[in-house]
Amino acid sequence: MWAYITRRFLFNIPVFLGIVLLVMAALRVHDPVYAYLGKNQTQEDVDQLREKMGLNQSFLVQYTSFLGRTLTLNFDEESWDQPGVSVGSRLTTSIGPTLALTIPALFLTTVISISVGLVSAYFRGQLVDRLLVLVAVLGMCVSFLVYIILGQYFGAFWISREFNIQAFAIDGYESGLINWPYYCLLPVLISVIVGMGYDTRFYRAVMVEESERDYITTARAKGVSRERIMFLHMLKNAMIPIVTRIAISLPFLITGSILLEMYFGIPGMGRTLIMAVNSNDFPVIQAFTAVFAAVYIVTNILTDVAYALVDPRVRLA
Amino acid sequence: MEVISLWEIQVARTHCRRRIASGMSDSVRAGNLLATLLLVSCCLGLTGCNRKADSLKTLHFAIRSDGPKGMDPVRVSTQYDHVATAQVYDTLLQYKYLARPLDLEPSLLAEMPTIGEDGVTWSFRLKKGVHFCDDECFPAGKGREVVTRDVFYSWKRMADLGNTPKGWWLFKATIAGFDEYRDAQNAAETFNYDAPVEGFREISDHEFQIVLTEPVTRFRWILAMPQTAIVAREAVEKYGREFPHHPVGTGPWIVEDWQPSRHLRLQRNPGYRAEVYPDEASPQDVELGLTRAAGQRLPIADRLEYRMFVQDQPMWLNFLAKRIDYSQVPAEYFNEAYIKRTQRLRASYRDEGITSQPIVLFDFIFTGFNMTDSVVGGYTPEKRALRRAISMALDIEERNDTFYNGINVVYDGMIPPGLAGHPPDGVAPNSPRGPNLERARELLVEAGYPNGEGLQELEYYSGRGSNYPEQAEMMQRQLSRLGIRLKVRLVDFSTLMEIVDNRKAQLFSFAWGSDYPDAENNLALFYGPNRPPSSNHFCYENPQYDRLYEMILTMPPSEERTKIYEQMRDIVLNDMPYVGSMARTRFYIAHKRLKNFKPSETFQNWTKYLDIEEE
Repeated sequence: MWAYITRRFLFNIPVFLGIVLLVMAALRVHDPVYAYLGKNQTQEDVDQLREKMGLNQSFLVQYTSFLGRTLTLNFDEESWDQPGVSVGSRLTTSIGPTLALTIPALFLTTVISISVGLVSAYFRGQLVDRLLVLVAVLGMCVSFLVYIILGQYFGAFWISREFNIQAFAIDGYESGLINWPYYCLLPVLISVIVGMGYDTRFYRAVMVEESERDYITTARAKGVSRERIMFLHMLKNAMIPIVTRIAISLPFLITGSILLEMYFGIPGMGRTLIMAVNSNDFPVIQAFTAVFAAVYIVTNILTDVAYALVDPRVRLA
Repeated sequence: MEVISLWEIQVARTHCRRRIASGMSDSVRAGNLLATLLLVSCCLGLTGCNRKADSLKTLHFAIRSDGPKGMDPVRVSTQYDHVATAQVYDTLLQYKYLARPLDLEPSLLAEMPTIGEDGVTWSFRLKKGVHFCDDECFPAGKGREVVTRDVFYSWKRMADLGNTPKGWWLFKATIAGFDEYRDAQNAAETFNYDAPVEGFREISDHEFQIVLTEPVTRFRWILAMPQTAIVAREAVEKYGREFPHHPVGTGPWIVEDWQPSRHLRLQRNPGYRAEVYPDEASPQDVELGLTRAAGQRLPIADRLEYRMFVQDQPMWLNFLAKRIDYSQVPAEYFNEAYIKRTQRLRASYRDEGITSQPIVLFDFIFTGFNMTDSVVGGYTPEKRALRRAISMALDIEERNDTFYNGINVVYDGMIPPGLAGHPPDGVAPNSPRGPNLERARELLVEAGYPNGEGLQELEYYSGRGSNYPEQAEMMQRQLSRLGIRLKVRLVDFSTLMEIVDNRKAQLFSFAWGSDYPDAENNLALFYGPNRPPSSNHFCYENPQYDRLYEMILTMPPSEERTKIYEQMRDIVLNDMPYVGSMARTRFYIAHKRLKNFKPSETFQNWTKYLDIEEE
């Protein structure tokens, strides 16, 4: 297995280098210095700032220099947008708020969606199944933004105004478990509602497909109860697609949800990145991209490893 | 409230028990679990949020962005940096809070600076007993008194390119020997802050003189700009790169907690100098009760909290929920709060005691031409006719009505409302403002393009944010009536700046906010030597205009100077390097509990005058 992991890791190095190369090249299509200096600049100011930012160096030098810093986990470079703050500091301060949203959201979405998928498969073709599928499809049809706007209005503001109950914050973030429900639960619920539509349909399809396998017929013939078949036999054998689905979602735990973070004022990775893009903060954009790419690659490798763990038939070679 | 929550939880628990007992499936149990979790969380939220408020007077304000990036005066470039910096640092002069039109008064100075007979020697006397706030950077952590050397040091920081200063243009070619000092020190291995500057003359710890290169009138405004605020050398040297996040100033507030992009909490500076609420006010101010606090020691409130909002909905909802004390009215909520036709606050708002204050900003919103372009640029009668035809074809009022709820002020020239030189009712004698399609067609014939024939498709660059794409579409439609084809290129702001500064755009949309309330700041946009990458984005060149601009630089405010302003405005209107103009009107609304509220966007240290009452 270790040989497999090492090989996969080595194969992915060019992918990582390519991603960083593309991002750095794309950022440098236009010169950010003019906007950074603002009004009343002189050509001398432009040239000097370009030198200070290292933009006067050849692209190759900038690329290798950034790679060198990234590989040694040196994120000490100063953010262009927030003077006095290092890129590493922006990374570490935004990861917490993002995970406070994404981990509970992924957990709840997965648990609820699998449960609903199972129920749907259990009542396959019946009214319950059709209703659940209908609700899932309806859930998917509505834009995420609509959920956010309405959720924020009714969930936080309207309840507070009409019933004088401050259940959720309209926006904002404070760290700590005690503050989590007030600041994070509403965005998490919105995320769960949106995610459930897609996931429920997916898990239902998985369960339905699984329910048609021979081992299910055999179990039934042996007189095993339907509940036991569903929750013990079927669920266990459906783990490969479930693990795949979860694994695909793992990198997004880090990237966060830009919309949720923007509307709810949660200073997470998504919001930080979009703000960095808006203000041409190259050091932050590059570092975030490199971290996202690395997380994505590692997650992919771990997913393959997880396959072998949940399915003895899979061998890593 | 707690009773309600506990009752709800009890109901929920009973409900859950019954359903679980009835043998529902696992998924339903999970649903119940979620419901319970939700209610428990609500309860936690309630307990978390209903902590008993302390007796301190706290102002809750919003910043419509992800907030200040730093609080280093020399790096101030955005309105939000200005907002934050103005709370913790002081400048030598400040704006009189209630005075309109805007006027200056001493802040760190004991009196207004006196100008020598030569017009270039300005004498200053600092107030005695003004101290920096206590900080670890000082011996025993005790803030020391502000002296002359602090002023010189703070201004020299603007010359140090290592600080990436954003406002060198304020001092450029203004103070004797300062430009030479800047060049020499930046060329040297290390920047020597102790090296002398010819125009900086220290008389004593509290007295000094500044010698200007020529009698520069705008210098008095510069003394009130946040970039020239006074910092402590000890703090800069102690905190180094992190200085923008460790402000040590003399202002009315000191930083209690700053979480970038989230909130900025400030508390009253206990050592703030003895300054009181002004009693100089207009009858209207008296009528509005703005003088009730006259003589009261500043700052009036105990704490000040800014929260950052990158989206308007949460800011607006927080205002309606009374969690922030005042708010700008975002465009999409204007019709909710105001009757568009009368621009009056709706009754439901007035009934709650909410008050409204419109402020016309010193804005110059325009569509510029690249005057070096072979098609739209140039100064021949044909070229002028083409630009004038474009201006006559455009309907700025329609744009204002469609995209700005009709609240902006449309005017001729580059001098915004409220400043000397602004034309009466916004209409200049040689107004080129459209829509006048008949005249536009005639002008197009004069330009050699009857019905737009023979005129190539023009490239127009604009930002891609907000509703700019729709505004560009409207412009396309309006010009198409004349047979003029417009190719719209929507780009991000940095690209727009780069393209315009490299003279690659034929037409472009920009806006300029005046740095100080003197039209000279706007007239500088057309001064030939200010060509890109400086502020003359049009690459406009007119020797007569340049000569007049150089003349007004040294003239004190007077009728004669205003006449020259008008003359310069008309020269530009004749050459037409742009189509415009528009100034935004910002509507501020405030809850009844906020007292002494008279906002301004030209200066930002007015929070110290505000009071808050419990409702």
